Amino acid sequence: MPTPGAHHGPASMPLTLALDWWDKLWFNGHVDSSTFSASSDGVFFYIFWTSTAFFVLLMALMFWWAWKYRRIPGVAPEASVSHNTILELTWSIIPTILFAIMFIWGLVAYLPMKIAPADSEVISVTAKKWAWSIVYDNGASPLQTEKLADMDGPVFALPVDRPTKFIMSSQDVIHSMYLPAFRAKRDVFPNFYTGQWVQPTKISHRWNETEKVWEPVNPLDKGYYLTCAEYCGDQHSQMMGRIMVLAEPDYQLWKSQQADTGGIPLTELGEKLHKSKGCVACHSVDGSSGTGPSWKGIWGQSRKFKDGGSAVADENYIRESMLEPGKHIVDGYSNQMPTFQGQVTDREILAVATYIKTLSDNEADKEAAKAAAAEELKQKTEAKP
Amino acid sequence: MSGHHDVSYLAPKDTFWKSVWAWVYTLDHKRIGVMYLAATLLAFFLGGVFAIVLRTELWEPTRTVITDAGQTQTTGQVLFGWKENGQQVTANNAYNRAFTLHGTIMVFLFIIPAVPAALGNIFLPIMLGAKDVAFPRVNLFSWYIYVFGSIFAIWSIIHGGVETGWTFYTPYSSSTNWGGVTSMVLGAFILGFSSIFTGINFIATVHKLRVPGMGWFDMPLFVWAVYATAIMQVLATPVLGITLAMLVFERTLHIGIFDPALGGDPVLFQHFFWFYSHPAVYIMIVPGMGIISELIAVNCRKRIFGYRAIAFSSIAIAAISFLVWAHHMLTSQTAALNAIFSALTFLVAIPTAIKVFNWVATMYKASISLNTGMLYAMAFLFCFTIGGLTGPPLATLATDIHLHDTYFVVAHFHYVMMGGTVLAFLGGLHHWWPKFTGRMYNENLARLGCILVFIGFNLTFFIQFFLGTQGMPRRYATYVDEFEWMHKISTTGSYVLASGLLLHLMVFIQSLMGGAQAPKNPWGGLTFEWETDSPPIEHNFPHEPVITHGPYDYDTEYPPHCDPRDYPLPDQAKVAALAHH
Repeated sequence: MPTPGAHHGPASMPLTLALDWWDKLWFNGHVDSSTFSASSDGVFFYIFWTSTAFFVLLMALMFWWAWKYRRIPGVAPEASVSHNTILELTWSIIPTILFAIMFIWGLVAYLPMKIAPADSEVISVTAKKWAWSIVYDNGASPLQTEKLADMDGPVFALPVDRPTKFIMSSQDVIHSMYLPAFRAKRDVFPNFYTGQWVQPTKISHRWNETEKVWEPVNPLDKGYYLTCAEYCGDQHSQMMGRIMVLAEPDYQLWKSQQADTGGIPLTELGEKLHKSKGCVACHSVDGSSGTGPSWKGIWGQSRKFKDGGSAVADENYIRESMLEPGKHIVDGYSNQMPTFQGQVTDREILAVATYIKTLSDNEADKEAAKAAAAEELKQKTEAKP
Repeated sequence: MSGHHDVSYLAPKDTFWKSVWAWVYTLDHKRIGVMYLAATLLAFFLGGVFAIVLRTELWEPTRTVITDAGQTQTTGQVLFGWKENGQQVTANNAYNRAFTLHGTIMVFLFIIPAVPAALGNIFLPIMLGAKDVAFPRVNLFSWYIYVFGSIFAIWSIIHGGVETGWTFYTPYSSSTNWGGVTSMVLGAFILGFSSIFTGINFIATVHKLRVPGMGWFDMPLFVWAVYATAIMQVLATPVLGITLAMLVFERTLHIGIFDPALGGDPVLFQHFFWFYSHPAVYIMIVPGMGIISELIAVNCRKRIFGYRAIAFSSIAIAAISFLVWAHHMLTSQTAALNAIFSALTFLVAIPTAIKVFNWVATMYKASISLNTGMLYAMAFLFCFTIGGLTGPPLATLATDIHLHDTYFVVAHFHYVMMGGTVLAFLGGLHHWWPKFTGRMYNENLARLGCILVFIGFNLTFFIQFFLGTQGMPRRYATYVDEFEWMHKISTTGSYVLASGLLLHLMVFIQSLMGGAQAPKNPWGGLTFEWETDSPPIEHNFPHEPVITHGPYDYDTEYPPHCDPRDYPLPDQAKVAALAHH
């Protein structure tokens, strides 16, 4: 947001405010936030102003004539023509030309969206009901989350002024990766890879070294959204994420922060993964049932399955549930969960199990989980030379 | 002979049961039309209830309500007492069912049959001077198929509802284990046959049953529009039928067609589905355009401007509508396909624009009666023009990538479907109500209803364009806080809209209970339906009518059954000079 006065002088302040309001109304304030925003919005406003001109003209004539030529009892109307070839040709040809400009301009602005530059940063994106799994080229996945529309979604970073390419696939139904501020969208399919790329142009966040947090550059603008634009079921509207656009050094710092999870105790890591890997979409931790059973109070309990069998919820059961979720379905639920095979490390599986253990109703389990997490961290540090 | 045929088509028979039988086994196109009207209005009401439910759900950004026990409850539960089904229902499911049922009911049960099968059935044969449609038994059969298909749809609502969206996209629809999907898809499949039969019937009627001497260009424009629609219904609906049948096979027999887990291709479904459903958009709007041509000509007392352009543009829209289906898939296919379908989509915008210019031009130097029908025609021109002009941003590639599957699309198609077809339907209903019921209604209350509907409609949907450009995707049960004020405006508008529609309902009930006897020609129309009684007699006319003038010769003809002093003609010398020129 430009500082009032800095660029325009005090006299143009109302104009600045009006322009800000205009940008907010149309694009939630996010104009020129990517290379596509500029090109796409250019065509958009050409269409908008052309349309507005035609609409105002037509409606002015309609209301004016409706009043001017209103029926007065006993008064005969004037004779008038009911056909005029030149007029009719004019109002056929002029829209045709205007439409042709829309098509060509739209095509010219669209084609670059289809070709990612060769030097793009590559991020792989896996969509599933109902979470985005985002993996960077160094193997990192975002750990930080933010509550958006009442559900925790991942917070992830993109570099400024550099192309980033997303290679996307789905584990179940069709999703659509939509980045509204960047005017980018592409459907995500279960049977083939799709891709899209963006080049953000405005830094939204920076690293605050004293507070050790990522803070927005403009306190009023918390960054950009990632949303799912293809209906995919219950939590479709909550498949959201927050995007931070960072300067290059900050971006590298952020990536290394996300990759380095070794120093986080298992219980804490498990709690973070519950939100960042999207478990939270289906599994509550407060006992309320969702698409899947709540994690609260299940540790060490016998789980009854649909097929009549049962198992005790322990590390092995949880591991199996994450990697082969369809093998055993808890009674009262359906086979909905996607597999996490290849998307989680052994330590992350252990972290989730340990976290579930802390949610046990049994105090002894909670203590044991905390002790085990501390022990694991201690062994790790000792193992280091 | 004549004694029997001179009674109103609504006249009851000797005994109650004979009267009932005379309705259920009627071959009279007017009675079948009235039965269609009753059924589609019921569907409109039901779809409207779901609309109000979903708008109410969107009043708050998130759906969760925390209760004392620390458990979460849905807005649906709190507001409507909707119970959870086993443990599988999550909080958003109430909303997802509401928007799916709203869409499916409005599209398949209301808007597709409403204008052609209800108003078209009643008036198309009369406007041609015919006694009935070409195949009266097929006509009755199509109504029973409609009812049969509706039962499947209603069954799926009772059986737990459907949450796939009205588009039934695979593999979501083929893999969801939600109860009602198969019966809803079967319902839509069966309803398709009703649509095809009606289409065949109308094509045959227009070709073969025009009164002797009536050429193609002597037909009222409503007939042209219904004819163009019938062609689309017959050619496109079978594709939907096949597609939905394949979906049912995939769900029940696990034959892999669309679901990649079974070796199918989900995008194939989208091609098949839109190959029907895009022409279906024009099946919905073109008959509405036909009504508008009638409303404007009669109430402006003027020869419609550019009759041939309007007639040919209906046919052009019908033809081009088959070539644009993949513009619904601009975010799921290759750049080359996108370029082709974007260009073809602009082609369909041209005949649509021509129609709007012609309608407005007809008002020039007219004699305009601002009755309810004309107010609806003007409301249509306002809303449909907005709906039409917000099409180009969706046809343009660079902007559609951003706007695809957002509220911009929701607002756009509601401006076309509701602001277009439904406003035209309501206008037509008021225009022809005195004719087919034989009763007048309270004009001022009907005008008030129209104004409430117009204000409520624009309040509901205009703000949604901005929700879309700001990036709110459609089919969202929850949303982030910054969209709340816009959703509150939209929901408020939907209540105003509903109150306008309820006012119309009361006006109509009052008209049926104690409305004044309608004259034969209350608005001074020149087409054949205004020559016969209100309500018409069983075979429409006592004698085969004779065509003496064109449907819109308002500058040279006094309307039948009217006092000529109420309808003075313009200076005939000038009319002749202009005609000669």
